[in-house]
Amino acid sequence: MKKSILFIGGLLIFFLLCPEVLSQTTEIRILHLNDFHGFAEPYRPFGSSELLGGIAYLAAKAKELRKEKPTLLLAAGDMIQGHNWANLSQGESVIELMNAMGFDAMVVGNHEFDFGSEALKKRIAEARFPILGANVEGLQALKPFIVKELSGIKVAIVGLVTSETPISTHPRNVAGFRFLPVEEVSARYIQELKGRADLILFLTHLGHAADRILAEKVEGIDVIVGGHSHTKVAKPVRLGQTLIVQAWEHGKALGVLDLKIQDGKIAGFDGHLEEIRPKAGGEDPTIQAIVEKYRKRAEAVLETPIGEAEVDLDGENVRRRETNLGNLIADIVRAACKAEAAIINGGGIRMSIAKGTIRVKDIHSVLPFDNYIVAIGLTGRQIVEALEHGVSGLEENEGRFPQVSGLSFRYSPSEKKGRRIKEVQIAGQPLDPNREYAVATHDFLAAGGDGYKAFGEAIRSSRDFETIGGLMKGEKILSSDSGRWLRDVVVEYIRGQGRIAPKVEGRIQEVPGDGRMGQ
Amino acid sequence: MDVWVNDRPIEILPGMTVKHALIQAGLLEKVKSGLRVYDEWGNEIGLDGALAQGMKIWVKEAWG
Repeated sequence: MKKSILFIGGLLIFFLLCPEVLSQTTEIRILHLNDFHGFAEPYRPFGSSELLGGIAYLAAKAKELRKEKPTLLLAAGDMIQGHNWANLSQGESVIELMNAMGFDAMVVGNHEFDFGSEALKKRIAEARFPILGANVEGLQALKPFIVKELSGIKVAIVGLVTSETPISTHPRNVAGFRFLPVEEVSARYIQELKGRADLILFLTHLGHAADRILAEKVEGIDVIVGGHSHTKVAKPVRLGQTLIVQAWEHGKALGVLDLKIQDGKIAGFDGHLEEIRPKAGGEDPTIQAIVEKYRKRAEAVLETPIGEAEVDLDGENVRRRETNLGNLIADIVRAACKAEAAIINGGGIRMSIAKGTIRVKDIHSVLPFDNYIVAIGLTGRQIVEALEHGVSGLEENEGRFPQVSGLSFRYSPSEKKGRRIKEVQIAGQPLDPNREYAVATHDFLAAGGDGYKAFGEAIRSSRDFETIGGLMKGEKILSSDSGRWLRDVVVEYIRGQGRIAPKVEGRIQEVPGDGRMGQ
Repeated sequence: MDVWVNDRPIEILPGMTVKHALIQAGLLEKVKSGLRVYDEWGNEIGLDGALAQGMKIWVKEAWG
């Protein structure tokens, strides 16, 4: 009798100390990737000598980790656009490798819209996994959520993309779509999924700061797998009952989140990032074959003829004077956003092109930087300031020297810096210092690159900026197309023209100094 | 959009990224020479990362 009492007492103590024995604990794993942007091959990030990433290496690691426990493989957006490897097939290459890797779901990112809605619909149709977007209205192919079952655990996955998507791509790419506020949509789906899932996971493309706000404001989210801010969240963040993770960018890391589920709740978690360092023999051969297939295709695209130059295109003298290549590119920049004028930096043009056949690779060599076109409202006075700055580095052969379109100016290199601009005309009329003009440039100069301050001043004065119903409003910000590189716009233009023969037209003229103040 | 780089206010176009804020702040070259960019919670962030209104970032020596 005494032994029995001791035995029963011992059992009670054991169950009290180890409650999981009474209610079953299930372990599942979430593997996640975000902001891949088509970086299929290992690369050395800016400022680093270390080779990182490589999707074939990441795939091998994912395969290995998947064998250990029931796993979901998720993508938190911005997968198909960015690197040439993806762009030259409009993201088809990325979807093919994601199919081969066996992704379970992906949320649409803002850059998924960059190739236009028809291309996006094709990519969604090609994907053998659901692409989510609960707060996107007008794109039926996107699902708001899915419910996946892993070892008896029902996991609801809700997809959310930033409602600022319309300001980061060309308006035509999102025509007919609405991007709804995330908190309102989140609360609605949590209500809908209550009782239908053991775990509610939000797969988001909002940025880490917005993920934290979402976790604080919306109750009932168990896990947020995020993207958009390219944040290296080394360990899961816990805010209230919500875990937040994000796996850096470009396939440089694979996110791993292990969950212990008990009675429909997270009873324990552990997470980390597996940094991807390529080692010979460490790649997944199936994925490597896809990488190589599309690399060869991309190389073939780069060799494709797109037109004929009837004259040599001068990229050598762009830091000193007007050139025909500078004019051509400035004209394309201006035309792309129907601006009144365009100002670009000569230093952004890196090569000349000899008379004859022009190939895609020639344009990529001329414009190697990932710049996109923006248009900003500048006053006549700010245009003069920009041009004064542009001609202030002549002696040093600085890249800030302007190449222009829609305007012409005279300047005197012998005058002091800041007093060199003598006369500016737009559309053949003298510049009005007080009038506002639509001026196209690219994001580098708009951000103050090469020391240009005029665009930043205009942005600062655009206090009326806001997004209303997903549309960008702001009197100074006229256009911003961050999903399309300038070089791709130039390729498209030359392809459309067939033959080009740009000239030096006297848009920029040197005149002797007269000792007078600048304009 | 207003962001803060090393406690200095910077204005960039909506939709611009960490890289643009660093260009404006004159700090991109520091990253080229090995410094890294961190958010206000100490997470490293990539140059193409999206910024949010009022976000604070720092350019400094790499952790560890």
